[in-house]
Amino acid sequence: MEKTIDFLKYRFIALGLSFALMVSFVVISVFQGGLNYGIDFVGGYKVIVKFEDKSVNEGTIRQALAEFNPVVQQIGENDKNEYMISTKLLSSAESVAGSTTSAKFDMMKLKITEKFSNISFESEESVGPAIGDYLRKSAFKLAIMAVVMMTLYLAFRFEFKYSVGAMAALLHDIILSVAFCGAVGIEIDIPVIAALLTLYGYSVNDTIVVFDRIRETNEVRGKQLFSEVINKAVTQTLTRTMITAFTTMFSVLSLFFLGGEVLHNFASVLLFGLVIGTYSSIFIASPVVMWWEKWRTK
Amino acid sequence: MSRGMIYKLFFILFLIVFSSLLILPTVGTKKMEIKFSANSTAEEIEAVKKRFSSGGYELNLSEQTLVVSGRNITDAIMNEVRIYKGVSDAKLLKHWVETTFLAKKINLGLDLQGGMHLVLQANFEGIQNKIGRELTEKDKNEISLQALELLRNRIDKFGVSEPSIRPRGNEAIEIQLPGVKDPSGVKKAIGTTGSLEYRLVDDKYSAMAASWIVQNYKDKQLPENYDDLKLIIDEISKSIALPANLETLFFYKRDKDTGAILPDYPIVLEKQVSLMGTDIQEATVDRDEYGQVVVVFKTTADGAVKFAEATSEKNHGRKLAIILDNKVRNAPNIKETIGSGSGNISGGFAYEEAMTLARIIKEGALPVDLKIIEERTVGPTLGQDSIEAGIKAFAVGIVVIMIFMILYYKVAGVIADIGLMLNMIFMLAILSLLGFTLTLPGIAGFLLTMGMAVDANVIIYERIKEEIKKGKSVRMAIVAGFDRAFWTIFDSNLTTLLAAFILFQFGTGPIKGFAVTLFIGILASMFVALYVTRFTYEIISLNKKIKKLHI
Repeated sequence: MEKTIDFLKYRFIALGLSFALMVSFVVISVFQGGLNYGIDFVGGYKVIVKFEDKSVNEGTIRQALAEFNPVVQQIGENDKNEYMISTKLLSSAESVAGSTTSAKFDMMKLKITEKFSNISFESEESVGPAIGDYLRKSAFKLAIMAVVMMTLYLAFRFEFKYSVGAMAALLHDIILSVAFCGAVGIEIDIPVIAALLTLYGYSVNDTIVVFDRIRETNEVRGKQLFSEVINKAVTQTLTRTMITAFTTMFSVLSLFFLGGEVLHNFASVLLFGLVIGTYSSIFIASPVVMWWEKWRTK
Repeated sequence: MSRGMIYKLFFILFLIVFSSLLILPTVGTKKMEIKFSANSTAEEIEAVKKRFSSGGYELNLSEQTLVVSGRNITDAIMNEVRIYKGVSDAKLLKHWVETTFLAKKINLGLDLQGGMHLVLQANFEGIQNKIGRELTEKDKNEISLQALELLRNRIDKFGVSEPSIRPRGNEAIEIQLPGVKDPSGVKKAIGTTGSLEYRLVDDKYSAMAASWIVQNYKDKQLPENYDDLKLIIDEISKSIALPANLETLFFYKRDKDTGAILPDYPIVLEKQVSLMGTDIQEATVDRDEYGQVVVVFKTTADGAVKFAEATSEKNHGRKLAIILDNKVRNAPNIKETIGSGSGNISGGFAYEEAMTLARIIKEGALPVDLKIIEERTVGPTLGQDSIEAGIKAFAVGIVVIMIFMILYYKVAGVIADIGLMLNMIFMLAILSLLGFTLTLPGIAGFLLTMGMAVDANVIIYERIKEEIKKGKSVRMAIVAGFDRAFWTIFDSNLTTLLAAFILFQFGTGPIKGFAVTLFIGILASMFVALYVTRFTYEIISLNKKIKKLHI
């Protein structure tokens, strides 16, 4: 018989580690001015412009468009000379009803064409504040809905204590991932939301395989303590947890390095979430089930 | 092998063959037919040929038709070619699989082929001020549908074919225009409100125009493009010697399959306008005393006088055409004089037809102006870059996963990899059947499911290993491994399915695509792992001599 690793021994260290990570991410985010919502959520204008003139750089663009206070970032390979320029709506008053979303966007585009010659617009996005509002509301609503539905499903298929464990691990993963976005300054846009919701699925999926084994082992546990059952189940599923984390990681890494600019943030969030999700299904989910069990039988 | 196993084998083989067929139109060569107008010059044809000189296209010119075949022919390219000088029409030819099996092909999203995506909303505040009361949810929905009808009517002004116009939620409209070259022209076409008029039809000249079309255009399809149609209109007017007070326009009909509004037959009208759109106050759908669906309308006070004049005795039996943006959308017969200011139009309508007509009439009464609340335009170069990056990431990701599986699981890894390939084929086949639109997040979702798809195999293999360690024979271990893993895989995947489903609900365009790929990917991987792979192992364990399993 294989040696059982005592994972539960590390439960307080793990909890402390997660807590420390969370606090430091949140503190860094707050220092950077909170979560950075993308134009999908607050409304704004984003263009990718290719400049033929090689002397153009981020600084000169920022200077030329200073009145719009734009975010300028070079993307792609250096010699392509492509820049992403974006500006956000500061208030809904900046959006003027009419045939376009906002006069501000038209003005900025005009300014770009005035200040620079030999340019081409590779892509253009403008989002009005109404859309952002709609998205924010529905994103939040659905995030809650997902938790409720998964809790119900797990309570139905397993027991309620497993629901608690899985949801604790899920919230742990999501909160950390969102805080991570805030700390490293990843803009919250629609692809990032998609990444977060994918983590919902991944995190729970990963945890359930462990729980399924705990349940199975528990049925034939005999005189073993519940904590021993947990340790045994986590050990038995450890190979699977790691291999699946690896294969999923391979695909995310390849998106991260080769998927291009549009998928970069998406892949970063997934990458972080995968590591955290794997860690939490080993070190967070099971202790919570144990604590809940202890607390209930007291 | 038992009889049941042979059936299973045939079923799996059939699925593989059928799925491979279904993905042919997506991954195979696509063909586009470009027709040149009769008076196009050699230089003009040469210019089009030059467009396809690089990129691995194959060209085939016969008379006035050029057939281009290649892998990456998209709607965007078709629309690009349509505006070349001398080109009268360009269309993508259907793959034989599409016509035989009613399969569709996976389209590329605008982020991959380039194009314009717009979300529009009616200016509700303006309407609210006009009618002097708060709009209810139902009003807003109805106004949005009216705007939708107006946009469908104006589709040819966008200068692209294959546009998609659909409601988003109850209050907004989403338009997708692949490969649009002139965004400002599109915005202008959207920004103007509809012009609605009522004019009397001249039956004598209409009949002459109709017979001209029958003689000259019998088997040919009428052009959708307004400029080309105008040429025909001029030709008709000339050949039937139309007097100066009359004008030829086209009657438009809705295509039942696509919902597109297409020219049907010419109709000659008086130039003089009998009623303006604003002369009508209201239009609703109702049923008359015989239970027929009718459109009931009420005129304004001014309108009542004009209406009584237009429907006076001398015009009984004539038709009064309803014209939206120079397109005749309906032409009811005048049966009696309507002096009361309200009347109805009957004509054996289906309910939906009547609703459409009522919305058109309302567009005159209460024009909706639209504002753009979201706009995304992607140039063709960026689209091409994105798809190349996406495919590269996908290919590298898959290869690394496959190598890893072989290194770790040896022969079983090869079986898992074959399962992965089947998974990919099934997934593409289902997406093709659904006529799915592939976006960049969609490719990401695809790759991610591939990473997660091997999970099912991993769970099964690890289980089999454990069973063997417990001292079970290979055959028993395989059976126990699959049985025990079944519910684990089911439960864990179902929660991911829930997440994908919710993502789909949240979905705006690209995210929806991501959710669909995730959803279908999980289903496909469950099927492959629990059915196909299991079957493979059942066949392997038929060999009774097997003592050792390479896992």
